[in-house]
This record gives sequence, C-alpha cells and structure tokens, in this order.
Amino acid sequence: MDSESDKSLAARVCLPFLRNAQNSDGGWGFHPGAESRAESTCWALLALMESAQESAEDRAVFERGLAPLRSSQLADGSWPASAGETAGCWVTSLCCWMLAANGDDSVAVQRGLQWICDDWPSDSSPWRRFLARFSSQRNVAPVNYAYRGWSWTPGTSSWVEPTSFALLALEATTSGRLAADVKRRRELGAALLYDRMCPGGGWNAGNPMVYGVPGEPLVGPTIWALLALRGEPTRRENVSSIEWLEGAAVGIRSPGSLALAKICFAAYERSWPGGAPSLSDLLERNGFLENVGVAACISLASNTDFLARALGSKKVAA
Amino acid sequence: MATTMRDQKLIPSFQRPLSKVVIRRVGSYEQDLLSVMVESLAPFELRVKGKSVLLKPNLVSLDPKGLINTHPVVIAAARECFLRMGAAQVLVGDGPALDRDTEAIVESIRLREYLGALGGTFVDLNIDDVQRVALPTHASRLKELYLPKSCMGVDFLVSMPKLKTHHWVGVTLSMKNMFGIVPGGCYGWPKNILHWAGIDRAILDLNAAARPDFAIVDGIVGMEGNGPIQGRSKASGVLVFGNDPVAVDATCCRVMGLRPEGVTYLARAGTMLGHLQADKIQQVGEKIEDVRQPFEVLPEFQRLIAS
Repeated sequence: MDSESDKSLAARVCLPFLRNAQNSDGGWGFHPGAESRAESTCWALLALMESAQESAEDRAVFERGLAPLRSSQLADGSWPASAGETAGCWVTSLCCWMLAANGDDSVAVQRGLQWICDDWPSDSSPWRRFLARFSSQRNVAPVNYAYRGWSWTPGTSSWVEPTSFALLALEATTSGRLAADVKRRRELGAALLYDRMCPGGGWNAGNPMVYGVPGEPLVGPTIWALLALRGEPTRRENVSSIEWLEGAAVGIRSPGSLALAKICFAAYERSWPGGAPSLSDLLERNGFLENVGVAACISLASNTDFLARALGSKKVAA
Repeated sequence: MATTMRDQKLIPSFQRPLSKVVIRRVGSYEQDLLSVMVESLAPFELRVKGKSVLLKPNLVSLDPKGLINTHPVVIAAARECFLRMGAAQVLVGDGPALDRDTEAIVESIRLREYLGALGGTFVDLNIDDVQRVALPTHASRLKELYLPKSCMGVDFLVSMPKLKTHHWVGVTLSMKNMFGIVPGGCYGWPKNILHWAGIDRAILDLNAAARPDFAIVDGIVGMEGNGPIQGRSKASGVLVFGNDPVAVDATCCRVMGLRPEGVTYLARAGTMLGHLQADKIQQVGEKIEDVRQPFEVLPEFQRLIAS
C-alpha cells in the first residue's frame, strides 16, 4: 500500500471531515449531525491527536473534544455508550486508551482503569461454572471458562473485541497503582483470547466452534485481538492469525477494515499483501459514507509513528 | 395522539381481527420481483402515502454466496414498491449482530448495485442515534433498551427476514429479525444482553416495543439445519407477506414443515402480539400445502417437525 497516498487521503478527506463533524458540545457522533457519543469521540480524538501537536486550530478542536468526554464519565469511573445511560460499558476501555495515549494519567483515567479491572464477566463466575457442568448445552459451544476477559456490557459474557480493547487500555497505563490487578487480569484476558481463536487462526466475535462446526474468523475481531496480543508476535497463534489476515486482506470490502488491517500489519512489521485493494480505491468505489470511525481509522493508518505511541511501548513499523 | 404503531397500545391477540398473509411462489431471484411485490401488497391496502418507511432486512454477516442475508434484489424490489405506493421516504436499515463492519456486509451482498449509492438510503442501526425506550412488556428481565431513532420514529416499519432455522430458538423469521434493531454501539457485537435476558423472552419484549407494521419474508432460498449462519441453503421458492409478524412467522413455520406452537417465542407471541392459529389467519395466494418444503432442523429441535 502506498503510504504517501494514504497520508494524502487522510489530509485531503478524513481530517477535514473530522474537524467539520465536531458537534457544538465538542464531541462527535458516528456521523455528522449525530448526537455525541463517547466511542466516536474517542476515535476522532485519536485521529486528531497528532495534528493537535502541530496546529493551534486542531489543538483547539482536540481540547473541545476532551471536555464532553471528561464530563460524561460516570461516578464509578466508567463511561456509558450514549448520553443518558446510567451504566458504563466496554467504551470505558476505549476512553482510557485514548486518554492514556494523550499522556493523561489523571485520577479520572485511573478510576476508569480500576473500573475495567473490577468489571468481571458473568459467564465465568464460579457459580456459573459450577452450573455449567450440569447444562445440556455445555458442549454446544465449548470454551474454557477458567479464562476471563471482558464483556460488552456488565453482567454478560466475555467476547473477543471488548477483551482486546481492555487489554489495550490496561497496557497503555504506566501507573504502578494498579499493577497487581492489571497483571492478573491481563493474563486471564490474553488466555481467553487464545482460547477463543478459531481453528487455524483468526478470531470472530468469540465462538470458535458451535455444534462442532468451526467458526469463521472475521477481519475486525482478528485485528483487535492481534493488536492486543502483539507483545508475542512470533507466538504460533499470532503467526497463524496474521497469516489468515494476510489472506483475507485481498477480499476486504470496506475502507474501515482495510485501514485497521494496515495498522495491524504495521504493528507486526508485515508488508502490505499483494493484491489487496487501496484505501482510495475502496473509498471511490463504495462512496464515502461519512462515518467518523472510518475516517479516524484511515487517518490513524496513515500515521504509524503516532500509532507506535498510541499502542504503547511496542514497536510499530512504518 | 398515537401516530405510529409503536405509539399504540398493545391489544391481546384474542381481541384482534383476522390477520392476512399472502404466500407467493417465486422460483428464483431472476424473476420480476417488483411485479410480485406490487401484486402481493395490493390486498393489504397499506396506507403509506406521504409516510416514512424503514425496511429492516436480515443482514448478519459477510455473505458473498447469498445464503445468509436477505437477498438485495428482494430489498430493492420492496423499496421500489413502497416508493410507487407514495411513501415519502423509504430507508433500508439494519444493525448486524456479529460484525461491526456493516459497510463490508452490505458490499458483500452487493446492495449498492441494487439500491444505488447507500448514503441517504441505508442506515446502520448499530450506530444510529438512540432513544431510551421503556419496554411495554416484561417477558424478560429487561426494563428498557436504547433503540435507534430511525427505527422508533418511522411511520411504517417492515421486517424483511430470510427464511431460516436458528440453532438457539428453532427459527429466525420476522420477529427474531428485530434483534437487528438493537444497537451494537450500545450493546456490542453480539448484542449479548439479549441472550442473557433469554432470547425467546427478549424477542417478545423487543417486538412489543418496536411493533413492526408489516413483514416480507425472503424464502426464495432459505437456510436449514444449523442456521442462521452455518446451515445449508434450502430452495423454498416463496415470498411471504403479512400485516401481522406473528401470523407471518407461523405461516412460514408451516411452510417449513414445522409446528409454530413448538417455537417458544411464537407460542407466547400468539397470545399477546398477533395470531398463531391457522383459523385466525386469512391465507391469500398459494396454499401452504402446495409450497411446503420440509426444513431439516438440529436434533434439539426435532420436536418442531410437524407430523
């Protein structure tokens, strides 16, 4: 993939789009004019973080974006998915990751990280595991419930993507205050991801096998799991999964997934697979659907130096 | 004053008038589906002139072979039909359950080729603006959900599933299809909160809240066995239309050679949301026995097979 072309695409289309899509409250919705949400605000802020260091205009945009994010944090340290919701969810991981990438080690971030550490999935509680022994459904979708990750919403099951986001957030923190909690949860979360890998590599939402039929991997969950597990790039499961992604990249049909794939290949120091489409080709073919998350991912994919910092200490190749 | 079905009070099934279901034999997606739609919708005398319509197909996953999702040619024909009936706006929207990349899914079924540019026509319900909805029924423990404004505010909501078996609840038809309106942006991929609430019960609460006005089932090619994703294709050769999703789903079960009374959520829906019993459903078009194509089901659902 031509990185200059991607940078040009980000500078010409995506960053101006993101600046213009900012709501009057400072946040971003998923589309221009949509209500501000924590998730879309995080994506936009991640995309604008680098340029905010160089441009006063973008610095102002960025600072205005931080304000609603800070004010929407709930008393327990979590963030809700939408305004009005009184319970936090997986978005907390994204908020903490974004804020940590911005060098924020404030009490607010620490409270968010503590919430993540305290948020256990309900499917793998000791009581549930005991009951599962007697369930007639126990062999339908066999997974190891000794491993525990994170759920999308509190009180539900572990899934691949929220577990990956939580691992990214916990890795981004440099604070020693959470160290004991963090270490154990990261180990359990990583073990869960490996347990949920599809046979042959790659991940879907979190069902590697149902009724004896192997699950098909999906691009998005595979990318997020690989990014969360990138500390062991030569581990067998990571290698087979990045190889699966290389094969799948040729058939990617959306610029959002393509941009994320580029980020993942950079994190694993892999070259762009031959035959894979370009971001500009896909944008031209599909039409730009004015999606804030997609625009942000394209911008991030064009800036691997920044990504190296956003992803923490692990190296991200250009 | 109530303006949409979603604002109106629920009426117990025994107080409801007869429901109407049309079955049409359609051999392939190459047929003139627009004509089929026009003829099939005529008996319902739908009042959609000047109204907003949302078509909610079943878009689950990447589907280059066209086995999993509602076929785009059916969606396009329905959209054109409602526009010709005078609808002011006909949007197509869904929130796929397992994959955040909705754009990739709609591209995999080539929806853009049939609808034209998707901007302004297609709504990703997973990331739509949401509103808090207090659930009018309490079949599950859920008390409220945040649901897409594009869905809850529309004048006329059409559920457009594919005719499929389902490995957790037996069948997935127009009622189960409503899971797709629950926004992943709030509840994740999958929308696991619904599973924890009990899938059968959550289907009831969700349909009581969303109240789809109409259903069009793509049964030209369905799925049997380990549906809704990993099953086998089943050429069933029908489109099924109706103004009562319960009646439509019950009819579809009968077409599939299954007993709707054995499907837990349908049995309960038959008391509160619509008609399950055949004698409460005015059948138009093909007779069920003439189009019946027995679907294979997983061993757990052998009890559904009609004797």
